[in-house]
Amino acid sequence: MRDLIWTLVRTDFKVRYHGTIGGFVWALLKPMLMFVMLMSVFSFLFAADPAYKLNLIIGLFLWDFFAESTKVGLTSLHAKGFLLTRARMPAWILVVTSISNAVITLVVFSVLIMVFLASTGHPPSIAAVVLYVIYAAALVLIVVGFSLGASVLFLRYKDLNQVWEVLTQAGFFLAPIIYPLGILPERYHFYLFLWPPTPIIEFSREALVRGVVPSLTAHLYLAGVVAATMIAGVLLFRRLGPRAAEYL
Amino acid sequence: MAAPLIELDQVSKHFFIPTVRRETVREHVLGVLDPRGSQKLQVLDRVSLALAPGEALGIMGRNGCGKSTLLKIICGIYQPDAGRVTVRAQITPILELGVGWNQELDAIDNVCLIGSVMGLSIAEIRRRMDSILAFAGLEEFANLKLKHFSSGMGSRLGYSVAFEAVRDILVLDEIFAVGDVGFRAKCERRYRELREAGHSVILVSHDPRIVSTFCERAVLIEGGRIINEGPSADVGADYLRLLAS
Repeated sequence: MRDLIWTLVRTDFKVRYHGTIGGFVWALLKPMLMFVMLMSVFSFLFAADPAYKLNLIIGLFLWDFFAESTKVGLTSLHAKGFLLTRARMPAWILVVTSISNAVITLVVFSVLIMVFLASTGHPPSIAAVVLYVIYAAALVLIVVGFSLGASVLFLRYKDLNQVWEVLTQAGFFLAPIIYPLGILPERYHFYLFLWPPTPIIEFSREALVRGVVPSLTAHLYLAGVVAATMIAGVLLFRRLGPRAAEYL
Repeated sequence: MAAPLIELDQVSKHFFIPTVRRETVREHVLGVLDPRGSQKLQVLDRVSLALAPGEALGIMGRNGCGKSTLLKIICGIYQPDAGRVTVRAQITPILELGVGWNQELDAIDNVCLIGSVMGLSIAEIRRRMDSILAFAGLEEFANLKLKHFSSGMGSRLGYSVAFEAVRDILVLDEIFAVGDVGFRAKCERRYRELREAGHSVILVSHDPRIVSTFCERAVLIEGGRIINEGPSADVGADYLRLLAS
């Protein structure tokens, strides 16, 4: 099984980046360009906020991982279905390994974020980095839970990817990525936090930029979101997964 | 007598075929008020069979009689609705191998992918890579992406991997129907080697000559049920009568 997982990760990397480091760097250009563009325009709008660009890079890179990995995870069973109909194999491996490339990108993004913070005179403390790693891991788990559930649903609802694309486009503006959360009235914050990327992004900013540890309640809430997504995903997958091959 | 390697006890499988097929969220939302009927298609109806160690069993039947569904249940790809499937050895399925490669990967990487799905370790695949490519006659195309392959080349590669990966039981779907004469002869040779080495086989075909040549015993399926079982030559003759009727 370990060999199967490794082969899936390796071939996925090869397909996506044409098997070269250059291909990998090329794929990083899109979010970097987005960052430079948004920073150039919006730092004028939010000129009063000196930490705007720091908040922007954290929000944007975490978002990019979320959007990219959920997109790939949702279609994973369909895309790798030809393996499922050939031999008996655990289907969840196909879903989980499909996210591996996005996770590699997330690691690179995280290093870039740290370098950017340090180079602008805000080197994060060790504790802040540890907290950030926990939040990033929570985000990965949320994506895994989502992908498990969505991948089996996609086999039955063939336009779910289009529905999700629209939702992620709207979700980009629902999460406080290009604007500071503070510009919205406090009473709406609760609703924004229901969208899972919001707490991840906000908590990461608290730790890395503001040097504050989010409250215990905040952490419990995040743990609840992770648990709920994972449980929902696993239950859906256990229910629909065994018949996945019949829908391919 | 040793316990059968595969035992199917009263296995049934049906599919619901909706009269109107809805495959998208849009169709479900827009069609929420329309009543929708569906038709139950009983593909397998209380099928029981057993495969003894070292035996080659042929499964015959017309198109749509349930042969392929039966094979997928035996291999654990489909779940039965009712009945019990007991498998006491590892199965290597060779099903639909002509289709579904990763077109963006070269032959070597595709072999790695399929090989590891079939249960080979990376070390085993590496060790056997040359003989797999040689069996398929594709040594010079090892680094060519699959999208540049012809469909025949793709199937050849599929059989080569599967023949190298054989564990205990080989399950074959219409294997001797593809490839050119030379490749077919190679497959037959390999098949006989595997039989001599003691592997058991389940072979599906709608060609009675193939079943009587390669199997000792056969079952005939019609309408999801086994209607005859016995020496492959007799069952083959029965199958021909069924086709003529």
